[in-house]
Amino acid sequence: MNSITRRSLALSLAGVLALATTACNRGDDAADDGAGATSGGGEGGQTITLAVSTLNNPFFITLRDGAQEAADAAGATLEVVDAQNDAATQQNQLANAATQGVDAVIINPVDSEAAAAAVTPVLDGDIPVIAVDRSVEGKDVNSTVSSDNVAGGKQAAEALAEAMGGKGKVIVLQGVAGTSASRDRGKGFEEGIAAFPDIEVVAMQPANFDRAQGLDVATNLLESNADVTGIFAENDEMALGALQALGDRAGQDVFVVGFDGTEDGLKAVADGTMVATIAQQPAELGKVAVEQALKAINGEELPAQQPVEVVTVTEDNVADFQ
Amino acid sequence: MTTSEHPLLQLKGVGKRFGGVVALRDVDLSVRAGQVQVLLGENGAGKSTLVKMIAGVHEPDTGSIEIDGRPVRITSTRDAESHGIATIHQELNLVPTLSVAENITLGRTPSRLGLVDRRGMRKLAQEALDRIGLSVDLDRKVGTLGIARQQLVEIAKALSVDARILILDEPTAALTRTEIAQLFTVVNQLRDHGVGMVFISHHLDEIAEIGDTVTVLRDGAFVDEVPASTPEPELIRLMVGRSIEQLFPRRRPDLGEVLLQVKGLSSEGRFDDVSLQVRRGEVVGLAGLVGAGRTELLRAISGADNYDSGTVAVGGRQVPRHDVAAGVALGLGHVPEDRKTQGLVLGASVEDNVGYATLRSHARGPLADLAGQRRRAHQVSEQLRIRLNDVRQPVRSLSGGNQQKVVFGRWTLAGSQVLLLDEPTRGVDVGAKVEIYELINAVTEAGGAVLLASSELPEVLGMSDRILVMAGGRIVGELTADEATQDSVMSLAVKEVESTRVH
Amino acid sequence: MSTETTTPAKPARTSRQRLGQFLSDNGALVGLVVVVVAMFIATPDFLTTTNLLNVGVQAAVVAILAFGMTYVIVAAGIDLSVGSVAALSAVSAGWIVGQGMPGALGLVAGPLVGLLAGLLSGLATAYGKLPSFIATLAMLSVARGLTLVISGGRPQSMPDEISWLGSRVLGVPVPILVTLVMFAITAFVLNRTVFGRSLYAVGGNEEAARLSGLAVKKLTAAVFALSGLYAGIAGMVLAGRLSSAQPQAAVGYELDAIAAVVIGGASLSGGQGRATGTLIGALVLAVIRNGLNLLNVSSFWQQVVIGLVIALAVGIDVLRRKTS
Repeated sequence: MNSITRRSLALSLAGVLALATTACNRGDDAADDGAGATSGGGEGGQTITLAVSTLNNPFFITLRDGAQEAADAAGATLEVVDAQNDAATQQNQLANAATQGVDAVIINPVDSEAAAAAVTPVLDGDIPVIAVDRSVEGKDVNSTVSSDNVAGGKQAAEALAEAMGGKGKVIVLQGVAGTSASRDRGKGFEEGIAAFPDIEVVAMQPANFDRAQGLDVATNLLESNADVTGIFAENDEMALGALQALGDRAGQDVFVVGFDGTEDGLKAVADGTMVATIAQQPAELGKVAVEQALKAINGEELPAQQPVEVVTVTEDNVADFQ
Repeated sequence: MTTSEHPLLQLKGVGKRFGGVVALRDVDLSVRAGQVQVLLGENGAGKSTLVKMIAGVHEPDTGSIEIDGRPVRITSTRDAESHGIATIHQELNLVPTLSVAENITLGRTPSRLGLVDRRGMRKLAQEALDRIGLSVDLDRKVGTLGIARQQLVEIAKALSVDARILILDEPTAALTRTEIAQLFTVVNQLRDHGVGMVFISHHLDEIAEIGDTVTVLRDGAFVDEVPASTPEPELIRLMVGRSIEQLFPRRRPDLGEVLLQVKGLSSEGRFDDVSLQVRRGEVVGLAGLVGAGRTELLRAISGADNYDSGTVAVGGRQVPRHDVAAGVALGLGHVPEDRKTQGLVLGASVEDNVGYATLRSHARGPLADLAGQRRRAHQVSEQLRIRLNDVRQPVRSLSGGNQQKVVFGRWTLAGSQVLLLDEPTRGVDVGAKVEIYELINAVTEAGGAVLLASSELPEVLGMSDRILVMAGGRIVGELTADEATQDSVMSLAVKEVESTRVH
Repeated sequence: MSTETTTPAKPARTSRQRLGQFLSDNGALVGLVVVVVAMFIATPDFLTTTNLLNVGVQAAVVAILAFGMTYVIVAAGIDLSVGSVAALSAVSAGWIVGQGMPGALGLVAGPLVGLLAGLLSGLATAYGKLPSFIATLAMLSVARGLTLVISGGRPQSMPDEISWLGSRVLGVPVPILVTLVMFAITAFVLNRTVFGRSLYAVGGNEEAARLSGLAVKKLTAAVFALSGLYAGIAGMVLAGRLSSAQPQAAVGYELDAIAAVVIGGASLSGGQGRATGTLIGALVLAVIRNGLNLLNVSSFWQQVVIGLVIALAVGIDVLRRKTS
């Protein structure tokens, strides 16, 4: 009884996901071949589950697309599951993957700590686990593929300081409190900005990686700190909200640096309203993660950390990323 | 008979104010062992405040309470319990989803090592039931019992904590004749066991039957203490403060053409093949036991519920089934059984409540005619003598009789020609009852028709021109006002019950 | 005559009683004043014209959602889907424009999508007999899912006609103007129309309303459709401010909207609630969020403070009702 319910649940879940995946691809011109491959890539025989924290964010969609491309190239099947930013959902999804007996699992944790419990059944089933973008804390996975967020934070500080001429006041828009991305980027930025004694961080407030909140919080902070000349946002979405709050002042009086290098973020850099974004390379992350997973399936030894380069994107090199 | 020197419970000169309002002043009451003390008074006379003092809900501001001749303070319901006082409220305090045994032992469930001791629990419960001679399955869910049995279970529960003083707050309000008889048997047993009781009832005829002494309250003050054998008109005079010449002042106008015509109405499990007609100027009474299908029939005629077959017509025009709005437009007005849950929006104002049926018809386009509604609410509250300070005050703050008049007022405004009255005077004071009867007279004098369902037989007999008796969802007999008596109606009502009762 | 008592209130009222009555009718306003004064004392930046306009703009989306929610709560329902429906409306508008349709069409179509989503919840509640909590919980998920399907998870850029909603007219931000218009409409509909007055009856006692001949089912369906329409308009304002429709926009806004309505003095058991109270409730939330930013309160504490303020505001209201 119970197992039947669970199986039918898993089946319907898979159905919904298949629907979502094809539908998503419909909106994306470049992914036509990807959609075809989702159903047909069984030749290599390997099945890899990619558990994404959320597909509500373009970054992870690009990551998924990169992974899909790599899987297609290798003839492997990639099953994508979306936890919708819910750690419990992700835990269930990984449990399902373990039961299903896939060949490898790539996890993009919703929450680094909670992920430890989630990957346990997978590792217990001797299925290799690759963490991507965010680490799994408290459990050793086969490899962690991530951008160096701390280094990225430092790079952001340098880019912002350069635009500000090495002096002035800065506000920071923080991501969701408690996430490792927010922690690492914030930490890197603080370390980086400390090298510029004439720059002062006057306020740090959360806008939860959300554009609308970025707009509201930046508006409010600019009210209480009218003389600010620099804004660092821990992701591009919040940075774009800050640009909205600044209006014409963006890029002229006040300099904004974002993080992630999303489509809209890169566009803002190209337009000159945003000074820089720290581009992670989501497609690269996805691609490397799949490559690592395939290596793990073949029994190869993997490095514990597989860093993927982050790049400071400014007006000078933005064309390379668009 | 055990009659000690001191009464079990004595209240001397107690008074209570709520803010600026005096709810009770200088009231005496004594309850003796083996006696039933009846508390009589209209709504708002202070009966419930007095009961709440005894039950430990309110403490008196003035005066004193003595138990066995010793002054005590009852500051909480727990205090009251420890003095051996148990109260059966109108709203039952039972958990419908728990079994009889669990309910009786609730709050003191016997346990062993933290687990429920089922055997101990059943033993306790059985003893409690035996004490009042009630036989009911201990494992049955209380919610599946009828109201009367639930009440008896509640009494058993109250007495199982060794109560010597039992307060019964309108215990008969929701019971049928046979159920009341069952309750009175228990009360008589308890009297023989020396339990002192306070009994509150609106039914004057019950007083002589069950009471020993009557304490009459009016406007929060003590009026008199008289023997229970006092004749009814005298009791009414004491209670209302004036004499009421006629309890049922029915005036019969000449009858006109048929206004309400019901043909072959059937609804499976509720009523079957009911045909009746009511003429202009006529009041037709619907009598029958609880469950005979009176309420169901009225609801179907009004459009509140659906039915399977048959027709309803007003003034020759057929009323579509299950469509209240259409019925209202054709002149039907339904005063439902329970005004609080079905008739009124208690938190809304009087003007809103009288206006619901006419909100749409008086509107200008999508706009409600609020000024007109207020004007009409003023008119109708004067016309029906609804006692209020302001038509904007919430209906909740009115007394039961005035609340009921608000429901009548809604149909007066809607110009309803046919009134379907379901227990129109339930929970209403004697004085206000007479006023509601006068409203019925006014409707028929203006050429309206009334279908009156009531479980108070004297009311049906006193106010109807013709009486239809229902049993088991069918009309089993028809009597004219002149030939109908309590006995003739009851013998019809119980005749077919055993064979045809539908549930 | 009979001796029935009516109400303890005396006709002649002292000024103190009148003040008490005013406070009891406008408890939320008192709350707002308290919060504003507290913020003013805490930071001089608060009480400036620009900042107050900021607060107004930041209150707008939640306020519009909450006006729609007011109808639902007055009718004793709940609508958990408004945040998702707002996002769906905005993304749909973006998609329509992305198909080459004119921007004005998108501006009209977005709210209509909201209306349709709300109507579905309403039909499920009124005729499908689902509790509104369940029907709208389902819609919360369905609408969010459709938002992702339509957008492919990517932000949709907005045409000028919609971005205009984020601009200013004669120095006044358009979101504030939209909020005021929606406020006036809501107050008018609730107070003056047959529809509005009927809702109080349906919410206060559905059975009594039905037996009075009110079309309870139609009213119920209409209430949710209206809430959906308001959510659609809120979604357009949100997208207009950002010049972009975010698929993950307005997550959790339904709870803010419910909080605003309840802070405004409505009862979740129905039959009570006013547009004025709701507006004030939305402003209370916006003032607190704004003030916490101005005071640079740590991110960890902000959620604690907001939760406490909601509990406090509603708690005071309950207490006040009990004593009055």
